[in-house]
Amino acid sequence: MIRTEEFLLNVGPQHPSTHGVFRIVVKLDGEIITEATPVMGYLHRGTEKLAENLNYTQIIPYTDRMDYVSAMTNNYVLVHAVEKMMDLEIPERAEFLRLIVMEMQRIASHLVWWGTYLLDIGAMSPFLFAFSDRERILEMFNELCGARLTYNYMRVGGVKWDAPEGWIDKVKRFVKDMRLRLDEYHNLVSGNEIFLSRIKGVGQYDAATAIQYGLSGANLRSTGVNWDLRKTEPYSLYSRFDFDVIVGKNGDCYDRYLCRMAEIEQSIRILEQALEQFPGDGETMGKVPRVIRPPGGEIYVRIESPRGEIGCHIVSKGKAEPYRLKFRRPSFVNLQILPKLLVGESMTNMVTILGGIDIVLGEVDC
Amino acid sequence: MQHFWDHPLSWGTGGIFVAGAVGVLAFVLLFVTYAIYFERKVIGWMQFRRGPNRTGPLGLLQSVADVAKLLLKEDTIPAKADRGLFILAPVLAFVPSFAVLAFIPYSSHLQFADLNIGFLYYIALSGVTTIAIVIAGWASNNKYALLGGMRSAAQMISYEVPLVISVVGCVMWAGSLNLRDIVAAQSGYFWHWNFLPQIVGFAVFVIAAISELNRTPFDLPEAESELVAGYHVEYSGFRFAFFMLTEYVYVYAIASLTTLLFLGGWNPPIPQLDFIPGIIWFFLKFAVIVFCLFWIRATLPRLRVDQLMGLAWKVLLPLAILNIFITAAYIQLWGMGG
Amino acid sequence: MKGMIKGLGVTLKTLGAKKVTHAYPDVPLEMPDRFRGIQYVIEDKCIVCNQCARICPTECITLTGKPNPDPEKKGKVLDTFDINFELCILCDLCTEVCPTEAIVMTNNFELAAYSRDDLFKDLQWLGSNTENIREDNNNIGAPQKGGAK
Repeated sequence: MIRTEEFLLNVGPQHPSTHGVFRIVVKLDGEIITEATPVMGYLHRGTEKLAENLNYTQIIPYTDRMDYVSAMTNNYVLVHAVEKMMDLEIPERAEFLRLIVMEMQRIASHLVWWGTYLLDIGAMSPFLFAFSDRERILEMFNELCGARLTYNYMRVGGVKWDAPEGWIDKVKRFVKDMRLRLDEYHNLVSGNEIFLSRIKGVGQYDAATAIQYGLSGANLRSTGVNWDLRKTEPYSLYSRFDFDVIVGKNGDCYDRYLCRMAEIEQSIRILEQALEQFPGDGETMGKVPRVIRPPGGEIYVRIESPRGEIGCHIVSKGKAEPYRLKFRRPSFVNLQILPKLLVGESMTNMVTILGGIDIVLGEVDC
Repeated sequence: MQHFWDHPLSWGTGGIFVAGAVGVLAFVLLFVTYAIYFERKVIGWMQFRRGPNRTGPLGLLQSVADVAKLLLKEDTIPAKADRGLFILAPVLAFVPSFAVLAFIPYSSHLQFADLNIGFLYYIALSGVTTIAIVIAGWASNNKYALLGGMRSAAQMISYEVPLVISVVGCVMWAGSLNLRDIVAAQSGYFWHWNFLPQIVGFAVFVIAAISELNRTPFDLPEAESELVAGYHVEYSGFRFAFFMLTEYVYVYAIASLTTLLFLGGWNPPIPQLDFIPGIIWFFLKFAVIVFCLFWIRATLPRLRVDQLMGLAWKVLLPLAILNIFITAAYIQLWGMGG
Repeated sequence: MKGMIKGLGVTLKTLGAKKVTHAYPDVPLEMPDRFRGIQYVIEDKCIVCNQCARICPTECITLTGKPNPDPEKKGKVLDTFDINFELCILCDLCTEVCPTEAIVMTNNFELAAYSRDDLFKDLQWLGSNTENIREDNNNIGAPQKGGAK
């Protein structure tokens, strides 16, 4: 008697395409997924709870380790929240430095995504192309703040280091090169017919669904929703610069790909303007009390991280440590749509869709 | 070698056959060792890297070290695996891959068996490897391996069809299945080589051949990012080495076949250059094809299963059949090619 | 087809491009001055103010002081100072708050060890870590003149 049955397959926590220690239990009918249950928490370190016993300066290194591909934006969301609570004045030079490093970080983060996504789809070279350029950004960060991944660069009231001698010129050179490199990236894969047939129409959802699931970042913009916190709720100095919010149309993996690639270009545009207007001199640290004690109360601030809306909710009781600290991590929220997208897809598409969401496990599990 | 076949088998001729087989095996192992080395080098260079350069001068001993490591590794068989089949699969995969090399002519004189069914022999034997891969996937008792084995069965069976049919054009052109005759029919200038008159057949053959080799962009059976390693996920040590070896021996076989069927074998591109021995031309063309395989691997992403099947049955097969009709019509109207 | 050929062109062009590989273990990596590596502790400068141990987010620094052996002078001198590099995240906060720059960063980063015990570094080890010391420590978090409040 021949009969068929569905079988359970554990994808992860050790699997090359889950980008870390993420696990999906899929029920397979042949190669078609009939049910998918994401299991997360393998990287949970209790950042939020730890933060309750740390003062605000001490929390900054912990934010580095949340979204470790984009530590600068994480730094920023925390210090921005505290600064808003305390009504601090930030020197312009410091704010410029923050904005420049955040945009560089966005490029670096998208490069990591681009490389690993192509690796998921089976092309090897883009990964090393992307990382050789990201390396230049990391080298510059290393010169700026002494670390390549966990920067601990921003402080409440400013930044730790001023730009070293010649650093701004270096960034200028990089930005110029990056434009050319971006063209090369597009030549390498963006037109590749195999690649296009793999991602077009895969993992599609509409704007209403995306909003229902609370998606943000390129995952939301790919459906055509014009929502970029740099434009809709300008923070830092973004209102001074001219750039476009990239929106897609179909909400499939292809549009997400194009959104992210175009965002690199927009980041380059912002960087070009910011580097041009960069103030010649000035303070990098504002007037900050010795011990940072925000007044009692609550605040929620949100900024646009490369992955979407990253938010920081602080409940303060007027002490040096927060009473409660909550991070809204875009990777975690974006991941919630995964089980819905996977049903009816093949194993191959599972990898494409998961990669397209762009998660960082450090941030999902926090 | 051919005249030995005509004598009755004696200890002497048997000894010569064994010596010949060992010679080919040694040569093929040398090829595999350095094919892997160059693959890693070329792909490295294409990715801003240097490739292996630590073991031996220029890293030339890297593959040797890798093989030594694989051979010395502990032989593990999963507890729940089907022991007999698990052990059988790598052997069953390797033996046909080596046996298909017997009929490949390297020049007009150097050949082991001058089979008049030529290409069909290759197809018949390489089909056995498919079975071995399915067995490996099944016997491992691992879900990823099973999926990889099933994919590979579907893929290799599907692509064998266009592979065979694409060659029919060449066979009609030469009027023989014998590889030596096919090469002889391509003598003259390089535009007499089959890849121009048989351009459709050539394209179909190359695509189907890459797919038969399970190489990027058709490496679905071992799709690293989805199935971890596919059918050989549970294999390690020398059993894994056998699968690896099989893969590269087939690269050797396919590159030789492409050279013979479509690139004129040992014929020089222009007859004036025939003072250079044919075997050098053969290996020059062979090397170009192997390089192209590495180059493709460094660039292209992987296809999806359904697209893969669609490509085989909806595109390649009709094209290959169309090629047969065009060739037939041409021969009917203007006579034989060559 | 066109896209694939373009891609093949890019990889072929890269074949001859300049390689980015570092010859790392053979040629040591040069880190920029601001690089945050293993700390160097200067025993004589330390005033046992405990700022570093208090700011450390992972509580990897333990130190004890003893009364100054010279009865003329006031204050304490360092007795023991340990950093547990199983915990240390090299975040730079300890050097940032040190008012006397008694603890500074170096550019050394090779910490790998075969035993966890090897990662527990004491004053003697940290005091002899004198190579590649960072020039600019930018201790913005340190109390300004007048001492800690």
